Amino acid sequence: MARPIPAWLAPTSLEEALELRARYGEEATVVAGGTFVGILINQGLLQPTALLTLRQIAALTYLRVEDATASGKPLLRIGAMTTHRALERSPLVQRGWPVLASTFALVASPRVRNQATVGGVLADADYASDPPALLHALGASVVARSPHGQRLISVEELIIGHYETSLRPDELLTEIQVPGGIEGAIYRKFRSRSSEDRPCVAVAAVRREGRLRVTVGAVAERPQYFPEICALARGQASIEAELAREIGERYAAAIDPISDARGSSHYRRRVIAVEVRRALEELNRIIAARGGSQSHA
Amino acid sequence: MPEPGGNAHYTEPDPRVTGTIRYAQDVELPEMLYACVVRSPYAHARVLRVDTSALPVDVVALTPDDVRSLGLYGCQMKDQQVLAVERALYIGDPVAAVAAASPRAAREAAELIEVDYEELPAVFDAVEAMQPGAPLLHPDLAISENDAAYFGMRPEPQRNVCHHFRIRHGDIEQGFAEAEIIVEETYRTPSAQHVPMEPHACLARWTADGRLEVWTGTQTPFNLRMDLAGIFGLPQEGIRIIAPPMGGAFGSKTFVRYEAIVAGLARKAGRPVKLVLRRDEEWLTLNRHPATIHVKLGAKRDGTLVAKQVTCWANTGAYADCGPGVAQKMGFASPGPYRIPHVWVDSYCVYTNLPSNGAFRGYGATQAVWASERTMDLLAERLGLDPLELRLKNVLVDGDRYCTGEIMHDVHFADCLKAVAGQIGWQRGRRGKGLAVLLKGMQTPSRASIVVEANEDGSYTVHCATAEMGQGAWRAIRMLAAEQLGVPVERVHFPVPDTDIVPYDTRTTSSRSTYMMGRALVEAVRQLKENGELGYGECVNEGGLDPDTGQGIASTHWHQGAAAAEVHVDEETGKLEVVHLHTAIYAGRIVNPPAAQLQNEGSMIMGLGSALFEEITFADGQITNANLSDYNIPAADDLPRITYDLIERPGAEIHGLGETALPPVPAAIGNALFSLGIHVRDLPLTPERVLEASERRSVHSAASV
Repeated sequence: MARPIPAWLAPTSLEEALELRARYGEEATVVAGGTFVGILINQGLLQPTALLTLRQIAALTYLRVEDATASGKPLLRIGAMTTHRALERSPLVQRGWPVLASTFALVASPRVRNQATVGGVLADADYASDPPALLHALGASVVARSPHGQRLISVEELIIGHYETSLRPDELLTEIQVPGGIEGAIYRKFRSRSSEDRPCVAVAAVRREGRLRVTVGAVAERPQYFPEICALARGQASIEAELAREIGERYAAAIDPISDARGSSHYRRRVIAVEVRRALEELNRIIAARGGSQSHA
Repeated sequence: MPEPGGNAHYTEPDPRVTGTIRYAQDVELPEMLYACVVRSPYAHARVLRVDTSALPVDVVALTPDDVRSLGLYGCQMKDQQVLAVERALYIGDPVAAVAAASPRAAREAAELIEVDYEELPAVFDAVEAMQPGAPLLHPDLAISENDAAYFGMRPEPQRNVCHHFRIRHGDIEQGFAEAEIIVEETYRTPSAQHVPMEPHACLARWTADGRLEVWTGTQTPFNLRMDLAGIFGLPQEGIRIIAPPMGGAFGSKTFVRYEAIVAGLARKAGRPVKLVLRRDEEWLTLNRHPATIHVKLGAKRDGTLVAKQVTCWANTGAYADCGPGVAQKMGFASPGPYRIPHVWVDSYCVYTNLPSNGAFRGYGATQAVWASERTMDLLAERLGLDPLELRLKNVLVDGDRYCTGEIMHDVHFADCLKAVAGQIGWQRGRRGKGLAVLLKGMQTPSRASIVVEANEDGSYTVHCATAEMGQGAWRAIRMLAAEQLGVPVERVHFPVPDTDIVPYDTRTTSSRSTYMMGRALVEAVRQLKENGELGYGECVNEGGLDPDTGQGIASTHWHQGAAAAEVHVDEETGKLEVVHLHTAIYAGRIVNPPAAQLQNEGSMIMGLGSALFEEITFADGQITNANLSDYNIPAADDLPRITYDLIERPGAEIHGLGETALPPVPAAIGNALFSLGIHVRDLPLTPERVLEASERRSVHSAASV
């Protein structure tokens, strides 16, 4: 037959999963929530010979906070199989990383969020997803495990292209780590169509220890971050309107946006300038109000 | 007609809620096989060879050689074969089909069929397709004998035109000579998908005595039977169509879709064959006509309309389907519900290498109202008049003659306009607000018939061909019958329509069923009361238009409505937020208020989708958004404040409600934008288009409101 039924690999422990991953490598497509893989298979864009599902591994679903880490900042550890919905509804996350809770609440619809996982959305590296830009701006990292050990990869280094990550064929993404110590954070999702659509332009802006980090998502093959532009805000107690405008315009000039059904390259460039500026204006208000963070639909 | 009774929402459990409903896709027969369709990857190609040699022995294949000798079909033009025998005319055109023991086996088998093609030049735009030298899709054109070809067809085969409808009313040159102000504009509306929750589903079997039986989700069982009879060379009574309830249709489940393919497979297999489409195949089956419409409108300085010229190019895709009818209704809706002494309309139904376009809730009116009502606001702005006042000055009233020559009766356009203006707060300021009015015809001519039978147990059975697609038609007809019989609605049964049993009905389209069947019922019940056993009633509406002049009776019964919208625009991004949407629909008399309300809300929401984001996108004929992630329809969070009036009048006839609210919604939103000086010509109103248009706005063209 043209398309044999893919082997269904459903390990119940992480060790077993790592062993299967090492044995099958890229032959096996890893399935987390399945919301993305399911679409690809249904559309005939993906014809896997094996599916490696992590859903039986209870040990990959958790949310933990370490209060005192080496850096002196709290650290949120998210098991890779934690659903968007669980993150969105967690009091722990809502208290300590409210921008995470409110941003995950903006993804698609509750039906999707009940299935989609935090590890899955990062490993997909889909340019049009909401979480990567925010996690990038928050300075999050992921734990990649293989039978030989584990390594910590920043989200910045994890997503390297269109649906492309730096994960090796024998590695599984097992945990997401988000540092605390945030002075202010904001995520703005600009949709050009339905409220359940993916963003046309996404902007995450985070300030931590006086440093600004602005990441623009959904406009290029990977999240866009320009430290030299963000450095304009260094040493400033607040981000004044003129500076917000300048950073927005510089981001718009620095990014070469894609064109898709949600907007042309030309249009996206214009929206980037506006949305980055607005994100910084809001961030400024949040910082002025001392702490807290939120995301904006 | 008896006066409305209690109108109580009936108390039986809803089979959709209890799960007892059996949709077309739920029908199963022992020993049945599952079908899968093999489709052309080319927009226009000669089919050279279809090779099935790699198929497993237990798979049945239907190839061009199997269908070459079968009859041509088409509800209005006979331009289609069961498979693309000589040439495939769009990406997705069926060239072969298989039947296998499971849906999965069928899908896999379909991939084993090899087809060789010779690619040919293709054309996708209707205006280009009419130019000399454009690839010709159908060199010879024959008009269908199906009774869905109910009007004079005017094909112009050497330029891809399958119908050219005209209105010639007054003297258009004189009209424009008399005009003191003339506005002119060209508008485009895209293709759209119906997105019924249940995809197309059908099942066919041949009986031992050679009859063809088909279970299918269809709005048109009798038209389907006529075309199948022609295809298979059978008398109509040799075919039985059973029409289970559908999980939505919106016009997509009309005429022949896949019934001929599964019937061909079933005959070859000697077993029943069933097909349920995958979601992406819906986009390859039937969509809404993309249209280009040019409007030229002339008026006196006081706002009196004197002349209107409209040209419509309705892109019907590879096969005409009911495109000629859509183009005709687009044509006669486009003058709007106005008194205009000089009218000239040319509406072309044009073949291109896109998937076929056909009936879609609104049936040509959505496109026509967008162009016509946007132009009214252009005129109001040029004249410095209030758009509401301009409309009220010209709108048709009882006794007026429409441009088709017919006298209008039971007319409520002004009432609808005043109602929507009031609800949107028109008098408090017009900035960010817009309105639009709609006139839409009902299928004319047409015939509905119904039988009511008294059962031994004191209950009654209604035998009726009306299709149930979620609109509540069966319930409405049962309620009307119960009211006339004087029994609770639970005592009136409505079995699944079966053409072996039910009397003839034109079809369940154009929002006609409750009105037509309601009238037919009166005589049926009268007869039954007389003989105690059985009654038959029918309702015929006579009429029709001369296609060369557009004169005659376009509709015996007009659907009338208006919409108003209030919008906010993010001037920096062009993002449009609809704050409030209100429609006012003339309903005559309502049979089932909760169902009428739901139907109207659904119609408004579908209009909102067309206004804001629904658009099928193509790259050289290849659909690029054939899934519900890339093709957006409105979600709950997209809805603005939605309000409406269903206007009733004591003693009035029932008026169909299924489609009235949809067409004026995009135009009302477009006009609300225009009140801010933002003139967008093409749907949907994406932020990008709004931003571009807002930048074209000059100080002088800013609306003086």
